[in-house]
Amino acid sequence: MAAEPSREWSEEQLRSDDLPKKDIIRFLQDNATQSFLAEHKLMGNIKNVAKTAKKEGLVLAYNQLFESKRFKGTEPEKEATDEVKEVKSDSKPKESKAEPVDEGPPKYTKSVLKKGDKVNFPKKGDTVSCWYTGTLEDGTVFDTNIPSTARKKKQSKPLSFKVGTGRVIRGWDEALLTMSKGETAKVEIEPEWAYGKKGLPESKIPPNAKLIFEVELVSID
Amino acid sequence: MTLSHLKDIVRRCQAVQDDNFKPEDYELFQIAGREVVEQGGSAQLLEVIKDEKNKNIVRAMGWSLLGPLVKVLIEKEEESLPHCLAIFTHILEVCSPKELLVGLLEQVEDAHPDSITDTVILLLQPLQKVLLKLGSKKASSVGMALATVLSQVARLPVPYTAAQEDEDAFGLCRCCAALLAFVEPFVQEVRLSLGKGGLQDDELRTELLKFCMKCLKEPLMEANLKEDPDSSQKFPLRRFASEILLILSSIREALPSLLFHHLLKRKEEPGFLEEDVRYPRESLACLAYLLFVEHIGSESFPAVFSPVFVLQCNMEYIDLLLSRKEESRLQKGLDLYEKSLVRLEDNSLPVMLLELKTFLSVPQNLVNVMTLCPIQNLRTRALSVFQLSIDKFDMEAKYKFFRCMLKTSSHAGVEGYVIKNIRNQIDFALKPGNGNPWFLGIHLLPLLRLALSLPQGPETDLLQGLDRIMESLNLLRYLLLRDKESENETGIWTELYRIEDSFMKPLRLGLNMSRAHYEAELKSVRESRKLRAREAKAGGPVCTVTVGGEKLPNMTPEMQLQVLQSALNTFDMIEIVLARIEEITEVKPNV
Repeated sequence: MAAEPSREWSEEQLRSDDLPKKDIIRFLQDNATQSFLAEHKLMGNIKNVAKTAKKEGLVLAYNQLFESKRFKGTEPEKEATDEVKEVKSDSKPKESKAEPVDEGPPKYTKSVLKKGDKVNFPKKGDTVSCWYTGTLEDGTVFDTNIPSTARKKKQSKPLSFKVGTGRVIRGWDEALLTMSKGETAKVEIEPEWAYGKKGLPESKIPPNAKLIFEVELVSID
Repeated sequence: MTLSHLKDIVRRCQAVQDDNFKPEDYELFQIAGREVVEQGGSAQLLEVIKDEKNKNIVRAMGWSLLGPLVKVLIEKEEESLPHCLAIFTHILEVCSPKELLVGLLEQVEDAHPDSITDTVILLLQPLQKVLLKLGSKKASSVGMALATVLSQVARLPVPYTAAQEDEDAFGLCRCCAALLAFVEPFVQEVRLSLGKGGLQDDELRTELLKFCMKCLKEPLMEANLKEDPDSSQKFPLRRFASEILLILSSIREALPSLLFHHLLKRKEEPGFLEEDVRYPRESLACLAYLLFVEHIGSESFPAVFSPVFVLQCNMEYIDLLLSRKEESRLQKGLDLYEKSLVRLEDNSLPVMLLELKTFLSVPQNLVNVMTLCPIQNLRTRALSVFQLSIDKFDMEAKYKFFRCMLKTSSHAGVEGYVIKNIRNQIDFALKPGNGNPWFLGIHLLPLLRLALSLPQGPETDLLQGLDRIMESLNLLRYLLLRDKESENETGIWTELYRIEDSFMKPLRLGLNMSRAHYEAELKSVRESRKLRAREAKAGGPVCTVTVGGEKLPNMTPEMQLQVLQSALNTFDMIEIVLARIEEITEVKPNV
């Protein structure tokens, strides 16, 4: 156990320009505990500490050291700093379904063409089935799953997917959650919630295209 | 002579009641018949076969003549050809379909490697005819026939260039076209049956699904399916691919449910093996490639899925393709990955995706391609796709990815590349308005510690680790120049003491040690040149190097000197940057 060091310098001496910062730092580093030094940002190469520390702060630290008596040997030395403990990037974050930050108004509009039962609405994670036709603003039909004749429609299956889970473009996810079973709606989706700047060239969707879908929500599971 | 022998047998059999032939009868008939054909007596044989009196015999035993007949037809022996063809046709008409099926498939299986194409082309139509006679019980027979034919076709070399495809020297393209014609009536049957509300789990439908899946693997996965719009060539294998997709559509296998199957399914299909046969991953990987890269079949793929979801599904296939060694797989894997990434906005992939196994195994596979693949253009492409994937991750994901790469890599080039990326991200973050907690805030220092370190301390092999060391030094120098001491935005200045201890000092020490070692080696080589010459005459050097069975010539002293000198030059290079850094961190007179 080191004996308590003596106060070499008076207040005046400390503040004088004759006393270089380096000397104070050296003293502090020689006599204070690691944790004290860490708290006051006094660890490391003296030259570097001298660059970032101000004289005033060093004087303050010097005085505080004698007040708190946190001299070497009075506390067990700990290695880890708070920084390292905080950043545990190795631990896997839980699958947190972070709620989207409020980005402003929804980037789609919906107008009901045929009312649904107004009772059964899908929740996130439900499997929904839909018939749909997708057109561009100029009227070009780029996609549909409705076959040409009614007979064929009986034999085909509507598109099924889990709604609200990011499997489809955002406009679809959001719009379908507001629809009830049996509803047919016209949904106009801004490019940001559709295929954005890239578009989908192989499906005839140009960049920054607004998409218009007529969607019928057939069933919810 | 043999003809009369045959006629005897036939006469004897005519007397048998109710077609109650004994096994010996069959055997004798077969042997005699074969001999007749082999000896060129097919004209007479035809007479025997066509004789009304022999109707029952032919019906029961005729199929056993298939072997020798097919042989003649394949070899196209001019004299016997027309007769054999007539016999063949007749037998197909009158004999039992089940027995004909077995006989024909035997012929396919036994085809000589050089005549696979001829055999297949010859026998597919007869097979079809026979199968159609089986009525509603045909499904498993169709399956068997397809499996047998495909396993032979799989032995044919797959053409890789457009010119090779056109030439079709081994006949694969012709076989594929013939296969399409073969399955056509069965596809129609399934389509009509589904149209009338038939069962989706129909056996015949399943056999056709298995057929498509097999074709996707062989030959399509092996083939080069890229289109050249300027070329006038026909690309038969591309057409084959489109037709296969059309068949899938006809039998109501929706492409999304196929492609997303592994991701979305909750329970296993009944029968574990069934899963692999119905939805084999490699076939689905080829399907994904056809759809998303070559855009074959994309008209029937819904345009509503989110690009992130599509990427997620494709990662499984990309992983499979990139873990292989064949150029055909690697090229498809790289294309699929690139095409999936390009549809995303930069900085859009969330860190949660890194929890999926494939999002870490794919980069590992990419690194293997980048560092180990012997084909240069694939290595280059892999690197550019690697960078593209980094660009698409959001900040947190980039951070986690870089950490992971630095911790798991054992290749200095890759580490150097990652460290350069880290520098770019810090540079971006330092620009006004771009600050983020990953490349500027509290998380930066742990990453820096990882990047600015010498993995084996002073004993690190500086030559092998050069790429990494140079990038680390560049990063450090960049930080010290860009981030003013007084601001210390990145925290580098307060961290400097630690970096000096863990990086700069050991590096300095390592440099000195290595330099001393190499300088000593250099001196020793110079001095002992005479010694070596004598040694060589006496009994040869202590060690030799053999590559690929060939012994390499020993390094001449001149070459040894060159290598040693070049090592010393490398150390100089490292030294220069290190010195520059030390200059920057030197004490300036106190303010």
